[in-house]
Amino acid sequence: MDRISPIVKIFTRKLFPFILLYGCYLISHGHLSPGGGFQGGVIFGSAIILLGLVEGVKLTEKRFKEDFLSLTKNIGMLIFILLGFTGMFFGYSFLSDFLPRGKVGTVPSAGLILFLNLTIGFMVGTGIAVIFYRTVKHGSEE
Amino acid sequence: MNRILTITLLLILAFFLFSAVKLDYGRLHPELSEYYISHGIADTGALNMVTAIYLNYRVYDTLGEATVFFATALGVFMLLRKDKEGSADG
Repeated sequence: MDRISPIVKIFTRKLFPFILLYGCYLISHGHLSPGGGFQGGVIFGSAIILLGLVEGVKLTEKRFKEDFLSLTKNIGMLIFILLGFTGMFFGYSFLSDFLPRGKVGTVPSAGLILFLNLTIGFMVGTGIAVIFYRTVKHGSEE
Repeated sequence: MNRILTITLLLILAFFLFSAVKLDYGRLHPELSEYYISHGIADTGALNMVTAIYLNYRVYDTLGEATVFFATALGVFMLLRKDKEGSADG
């Protein structure tokens, strides 16, 4: 692991929060500009994967624990389905838009789409990071 | 006899393939795509038409995609776990 040059390590540490921020931007503006939950989530997960490749999984797991990421993935899927059922209490059909809408072109303009994008984004990002953790740990054991 | 049967089946298959190539799917229902373009923003409030379709008109499809991804991640999570109990016994 010590064959990685310090330039890569330092730049990864500096770039890491900006990649996370870009992923959050893609997720939260998915209904206004190109992007969305799946794409932003993949960028979110690839930031954690980059940190894991450069710093090693053991150091990365001090900040992003595997159990926490797995829990986030499960809760994201649960919230996606629960959001679908919430509309049924207000007289709408399953997964239909029941929230009030703001002005077109601003972030709260699309009602439920924003929240569906958020749950999908966090589920995809943490899910990809969990898959990465599992494969790396499995490979390093044997 | 077998050869004649094979050739006949191939000819029938070729006929259906050629008739399928000639179909023009782009002009069958232009009113559907026109409806999405003209009513999309009023219906969903989303400027991005791709998001408007996959999270409002076709949100069941997205539920299926999310379920497929969730099942994949769960499968990797379950298959590649450390078998602590097994190693303690053996």
